[in-house]
Amino acid sequence: MATWLEWARGPIFIGAFSFMVLGYLRHLLVTFFEIRRHLRRAGDRTIPTLQIFVATLNWLFPLRKLKSQWLFSATSILFHIAILVVPIFLAGHIVLWARGTGLSWPAIPNHLADVLTLVAIVTAVALVIQRLSARATRNLSRFQDYALPLLIAVPFVTGFGVMHPGVNPFSYDATLLVHVMSANLLLVLMPLSKLSHAVLLPGAQYVSEIGWHWPSDAGSKVAIALNKEGEPV
Amino acid sequence: MTTRQRTLKTVLWALIGIFGVVTIARFVGGLGATTGLNDATPWGFWIAFDVMAGVALAAGGFVLAAAVYIFRLEQYKGFARPAILTALLGYAAVAVGLLYDLGLPWHIWHPIVFPQPRSVLFEVAMCVMIYLTVLLFEFSPAILEHRLFNRPLFRTVHRLIKKLTIVLVIAGIVLSTLHQSSLGSLFLIAPHRVHPLWYSPIIWILFYISAIGLGLMMVTLESFFSAWYFGHPLKLKQLSGLGRAAGSVLLGYAALRLGDLATRGGLAQAFDGSGMAALFWFELSLGALVPGLLLMFSRVRSSSAGLLVTALMTVFGVIGYRFDVAIVAFGRPDGVSYFPSWIEIAVSLGVVACALMVFIWLVERLRVYPEDEEPHSPEPTGAVAPRLAGSLRLLLPHSMSAPRRYSLAAMLGAVGAIFLLADGDLFGAQLAATPVSAPRTIEGKLIDHSAARLMVVDGNRDGRGVLFAHDQHVEDLGDKEACEMCHHQRLPFDSQSACSDCHRDMYLATDIFDHSSHINHLEGRQGCSRCHRNADQVKTRETATPCADCHQGMIVTGSSITPPTGGSTGLAVGYLDAMHGLCISCHQRESAADATEPSTGDCALCHQKQAVASWRHIGPYAAPAKPGDTK
Repeated sequence: MATWLEWARGPIFIGAFSFMVLGYLRHLLVTFFEIRRHLRRAGDRTIPTLQIFVATLNWLFPLRKLKSQWLFSATSILFHIAILVVPIFLAGHIVLWARGTGLSWPAIPNHLADVLTLVAIVTAVALVIQRLSARATRNLSRFQDYALPLLIAVPFVTGFGVMHPGVNPFSYDATLLVHVMSANLLLVLMPLSKLSHAVLLPGAQYVSEIGWHWPSDAGSKVAIALNKEGEPV
Repeated sequence: MTTRQRTLKTVLWALIGIFGVVTIARFVGGLGATTGLNDATPWGFWIAFDVMAGVALAAGGFVLAAAVYIFRLEQYKGFARPAILTALLGYAAVAVGLLYDLGLPWHIWHPIVFPQPRSVLFEVAMCVMIYLTVLLFEFSPAILEHRLFNRPLFRTVHRLIKKLTIVLVIAGIVLSTLHQSSLGSLFLIAPHRVHPLWYSPIIWILFYISAIGLGLMMVTLESFFSAWYFGHPLKLKQLSGLGRAAGSVLLGYAALRLGDLATRGGLAQAFDGSGMAALFWFELSLGALVPGLLLMFSRVRSSSAGLLVTALMTVFGVIGYRFDVAIVAFGRPDGVSYFPSWIEIAVSLGVVACALMVFIWLVERLRVYPEDEEPHSPEPTGAVAPRLAGSLRLLLPHSMSAPRRYSLAAMLGAVGAIFLLADGDLFGAQLAATPVSAPRTIEGKLIDHSAARLMVVDGNRDGRGVLFAHDQHVEDLGDKEACEMCHHQRLPFDSQSACSDCHRDMYLATDIFDHSSHINHLEGRQGCSRCHRNADQVKTRETATPCADCHQGMIVTGSSITPPTGGSTGLAVGYLDAMHGLCISCHQRESAADATEPSTGDCALCHQKQAVASWRHIGPYAAPAKPGDTK
C-alpha cells in the first residue's frame, strides 16, 4: 500500500499536474491564434473592451445572481469558495509543495479547513439535488453536470477522513490513496471538461465576443448557401 | 488532406512533444542522468544514429547531384531537388543531434578557431560545416523561386547561384568524399578496440562506398515516401536505373569488405560460430549481399515491391554497419555494458520527426518536386470560430481543426514524457540500496602480538573491512560507561543495540520508525493523537511527539555522540556516515587532549590494507602473516 501511495503522489501526480498545466497552455495558445486569425478576417474589428471587462467581473464575482435564484446561487458560491480555498491553502498540502519544490505560502487553520471541507461536501450534494429538482435545469443538464460535483466531493470526503482518522472507519492508507487518485483524476479532467472554467473563465466573455465578429461577407455567403440571394432578411 | 497525411503529422507532433520535454531533461539533468553512456562508452546511440548513420543516409544528395550535373544523366533530374533537400535536412539533423551529445555543446564552433590539422574529427567537423553551407546554396534556387523573393535583387542572386551550380556540385562531391570516408577513418585510431571482423585499415573506403550505395537506395525510399504521402506517381523506370547502380555499388562494397578480410587472414573468424560472426553475416547480408544480388535481377528492379524491400534492407543493413562499428563491435572493459536509455532514443526520433516535419512544410510551400505545378497546399486550418472551454469530445481527433489536433498530440507526447521522467530516476535520483550486514568477530592478534577478539566492520561485505578492537576499546574507555559512549541509542525493548540495527544501509538514511506497527499497538485509529497531539499542526515527523517521550531510556544520556536531529525523527544516517562520524570525532577529541592517542586524520589508521597483514593474521584458519607479505 505504501508503494502505491508513493506512486500515486509521485509520478502519477506529476503526470496529472503537468497534464493540467500543459492542457491549459494548449487551450490558451490555440485560442490566441484562433482569435488572431478570426479577427483578421472579421468585418467589424471594434471590441467593446469595457463592457467585456464588466461582464467578466460580474461572472467572477456573481453577487448579483443572489437576487434571483438566491438559494442555488448561494450554494454555488459557497461550493466554489470551499473547493478553491481548501486544496490550495491546506497546511498539509503546503508542506508537500515545500518538500517537493521549496515553495510555500501561508496556510489556513486546520479548523477552518475542516469547516470548509464539510461545506464543500454538503454544497456538492446540494447542487446535484437542486439541479435535479427543477425541470428547467434537468433539461439543460448533461451527464458531466451531475458527475463532476459528486466527483469533486470524493477528495473532500476522503480528505476529511485522512485528517480525522478517529472517525474514519477505513484504513488510513487506503483513504489517502483514494484521496490522491481522485484528485489526480480531477486534475486530468480540468482541461478536458467543463472544469476548464477554473482557469479559462476570465477569458470566456472576450472569446465569445470575438466569435460573433464574422467576416464582412459572411451574410451574403449564408444567403448563397441557403439559396436565398437578394431576398430581404 | 488525406487521413494518412493527418495521421503521420499527428504522430510526428507527438514525437516532437516528447522531444521538447527530453530536451529540457537532457540539458538540465546532464548526460549522466539522462543517457546510458559511461566512461567506457562515450560514443553511444546518438553518435551511431544521428551522426554516423545520419551522414550516410544523407549521401543521396551528393550522389544524385553528381549523376545529374557531372555525368549529365538528365533522366534523374527530377530526383535531384528532393535528394538535396533530404541531404540538407539530414545534415542539419546531424548538427542538432551532435549538440545533444557534446558535453559542452556551446563549444561546437571551436574547430573553426582552434584547428587541429592532424585530427580526423577536425576534418569531419569542418567538412560537415562547409557542406551544410554548400547544400543550403544548392537548395536555395527552390527558395528563391518563391513569390516572396520575386524582386530584382533576389532575381540577380538566383541567376548567380544558378551559374555557380557546377562549382557547388563539385564542392559538394569533394566535401562528401572527404567526410563520408573520414567517419570511418575515426576508427583507425582504435585498431584494438574494434572487433577484427569490423576493423579494417581500409574502413574509410568501406564507409565511403557503402554510403554511396545507401544514398542511392535512400533516394528510392524517398520516392516511395512522396508517392505514399503526396500521391506522386512512382517513376519506376528511373528508380530501376538507380537500383541497378545501387546493386553494383553494394556488391562492390561487400566484395571489398570480404576480400580485405580474406587478404588479411581474418576470414576464418567469420566462421568460428560466435555471436559476433553471426552478427557480421547478418548485417553484411541485410545491408549489401542480399539486396545487391536481388537488384541484379531486372524483375526485382522493375517491380515496386522489389525496390521497396531492397531499399529497406539496405537502409537497415547499412545503419546496422554504422551501429556495429560505433557500439556493438567496439570493445569495452569486462563488466561494462551500454544500452541506450529511452531518452536517447526519444531525442533521436524527435530530431528525425522535426526534420521530416520541415521537409513536409517546405514541400507544401516550395516547388521541390518538379512534377508539381504548384506546391502542395498545407492543411486548411478551418474557418472555425475561436472557443475557449474544452470538452471530452476534443479527444476525438476527426472533429478537430488542424491546430487543435496537432497541439493535442504534442501535449499528450509531452505529458507522457514527463510521466516517464517522473517515474524514472531523474527526479529525486538516489543511490541503490546497499543493506548493511552486522560485523563478525574473529580471533586475531594485536600489534603487540597478544591474542584478541577483533570485530570485522565491513557493512557492505565488499572485503575491505576495518578491523576494530572492540574489547580493547571497552577496556581502555572504562567498562560500563564505555558502551554508552558509542551505543548512543537503544531500540525499544532492547538493552543494547548494535550500529547496524539502526544504520541499516551503507549510504542511505534508514527510517527506523515503523508507523504501521505504532498504529497497531496504539488502539488503531484512536491512537493518532497520542503522537500527533496538536490537531492544528500538520502531521509530520517534525511535529510528532519525540520517540523518547514514550520510550524512556531510548536515548542514552552522556554518549560521546549526539545525532544532529536529537534522535527524535526516526531517521538514522547511512552506516558509512555513522561510523566515520563516531570514530573520527571521538579520536579527534582524544588526540587533541593526548598527543599519544592515534588520530584519525589519517584514513589508513583504520583502512589499511597493509595493516591487515602486519597487525596480525586474520582468523584462526588463515596462515600466519610473514614479514613482507602485503596480502
